[in-house]
Amino acid sequence: MKFTIYQESRTGRRANNEDRLAHCYSRDSLLMVVADGMGGHYYGEVAAQIAVQTLTEAFQREVKTRIRDPFLFLQTGMLNGHRGILDFAGKHHLLDSPRTTCVACIIQNNIAYWAHSGDSRLYLMRKGRVLAQTKDHSRVRLLVEQGVITEDQVHDHPDRNKIYGCLGGQQTPEIEFSRKMTLEAEDVLVLCTDGVWSGLPGEMLAATLKTANLMRAVPVLLGQAETRGGPHADNLSMIAVRWQDTYVDESSGGSSLISTKSMARDTVTTRMTGFGHHGGHKTELSDEEIELAIEEIRSTIQKYSK
Amino acid sequence: MVQQANHPLPAAFQLDEYCIEHQLSLGGFSIVYVATDSQGKRVAIKEYLPNTLALRGEGRTAPVIAEDHLPAFRYGMKCFFEEGRALAGLSHPNVIRVLNFFRANDTVYMVMEYEHGRTLQELIQKNRAGVTENFIRNVFTKMLNGLREVHSHRLLHLDLKPSNIYMRNNHVPVLIDFGAARQTLACDTPMLKPMYTPGFASPEHYNQRELLGPWSDIYSVGASMYACISGSTPQAADSRLEKDRLAPAMVRWEGQYSDQLLETIDWCLCLNHRYRPQSVFALQKALTEPVVAPSPPPPKENWLDQVVGKLKRSRNS
Repeated sequence: MKFTIYQESRTGRRANNEDRLAHCYSRDSLLMVVADGMGGHYYGEVAAQIAVQTLTEAFQREVKTRIRDPFLFLQTGMLNGHRGILDFAGKHHLLDSPRTTCVACIIQNNIAYWAHSGDSRLYLMRKGRVLAQTKDHSRVRLLVEQGVITEDQVHDHPDRNKIYGCLGGQQTPEIEFSRKMTLEAEDVLVLCTDGVWSGLPGEMLAATLKTANLMRAVPVLLGQAETRGGPHADNLSMIAVRWQDTYVDESSGGSSLISTKSMARDTVTTRMTGFGHHGGHKTELSDEEIELAIEEIRSTIQKYSK
Repeated sequence: MVQQANHPLPAAFQLDEYCIEHQLSLGGFSIVYVATDSQGKRVAIKEYLPNTLALRGEGRTAPVIAEDHLPAFRYGMKCFFEEGRALAGLSHPNVIRVLNFFRANDTVYMVMEYEHGRTLQELIQKNRAGVTENFIRNVFTKMLNGLREVHSHRLLHLDLKPSNIYMRNNHVPVLIDFGAARQTLACDTPMLKPMYTPGFASPEHYNQRELLGPWSDIYSVGASMYACISGSTPQAADSRLEKDRLAPAMVRWEGQYSDQLLETIDWCLCLNHRYRPQSVFALQKALTEPVVAPSPPPPKENWLDQVVGKLKRSRNS
């Protein structure tokens, strides 16, 4: 497999980043996951972390160069994530279990398989156009389909944040699967949270990412989406991958091109965002905190010195 | 831009209950002094003073910190506390001891045992001939006792290198400078800038920090042993990942050191973290095993040559 991939997550103007994203790959299979912990639910970021971690850990465990049944893997992984969140809520006696959206995609043998629950999206882009995309499990999406409102009314509809598919809710999550999509060289797949797509139309993403260097283009796009989000910009997260399974000139991809050909059979490479690895953190240390830290260190020294 | 160096506190300066003697070293983040405590015992005092954020002029006591640098200055303090925390809970002959921790002059100080000796780095530079098989095995087996203690506290050193191994005059190594040490397995790891030294840092240090583990320190141990023999810093792991030009110890020094030692060094220096010794114990075991006598020279034609030979002959006929 050959591909270039880039992922980035930003806090926007929120206090917390409740988005989580990860990708991992073996010699012949690539998994990408994006989860958006639900705002308003206190432990949203925990839910997102559990979802992403459940899928990546399952991948690391099950991949023997390839995943035997990608759709079954995605279904099991997402349902296990859902149960993991419920277990967490039970263990910590939470009145309401935390929730998260989830979109995950596996590429192997030049075929992409994806599944999603909620309103985090996947776009498949070819030659600068959107070829396929997930359908949000949201109330506004239903209203558009029923013809009650138009696409243009979506962005400021009062129900735009109401979604019905998610992991961690009371009901078994609704998980929607794609068809098997055969990829061509230069196809671009984007997985992103609503903080990104609400500010950037799919066609614009497709046009921008058609030939651009992902490592440069994605941060620029996130910057634009963040600006459009205004003073209350939501968390923004995006994974973009450019598929290059046919012959490519090594020099054109530069060092960012990942070739899995030389990987050992049973190794998996993983990139994941986690707690405390994102910007926008509280960095100031107050006088009280300094005194507290010193006190703690001194008492430890006392305890261990004879 | 050339960075201005900070001026150290002057000799005979009374700092809390300590009297400064002289400056021992000056780093980008701190100054280390030799001082005496109220009982006249010598100690080493590390002063948190990142020279990019805080400047102390000559003859001054407190550093000048620009308004907009204050958050970053305070934030960096967290790293300094992290080091203090890491060391305070460790009590081991091969790990530097922390004696006190206090706040003064608008910054913070860590008091440590003072050791007579020099760093392994200085030692190997001054005495290249002294780097014998026994020397390496001795120093590293003892140093690893300290590292084992560090790991057993779920800590990683993360900046092991010859200049962070201090050799007491009685040739007992002590691990110093835990500025990069981190508590592992803690979910709420504070966001800290990664610190590492190219050449000694493992591949995981660079871009897969979630994979950091005991094996990452073990890579640095391997790199340190390699550096002791070669006398120079090995190729950095990130550039090895692109094009590995690091000659295996086994290739470079065969015959000068035992195969077993050289193989152990190469084992530690595997780029894939899974192929390295997974624990300090495993590495110590390899270092303390009795050296096997060099194997007798292989028979002139081993089975592989025979097969190759046969193939060649059949092609020629």
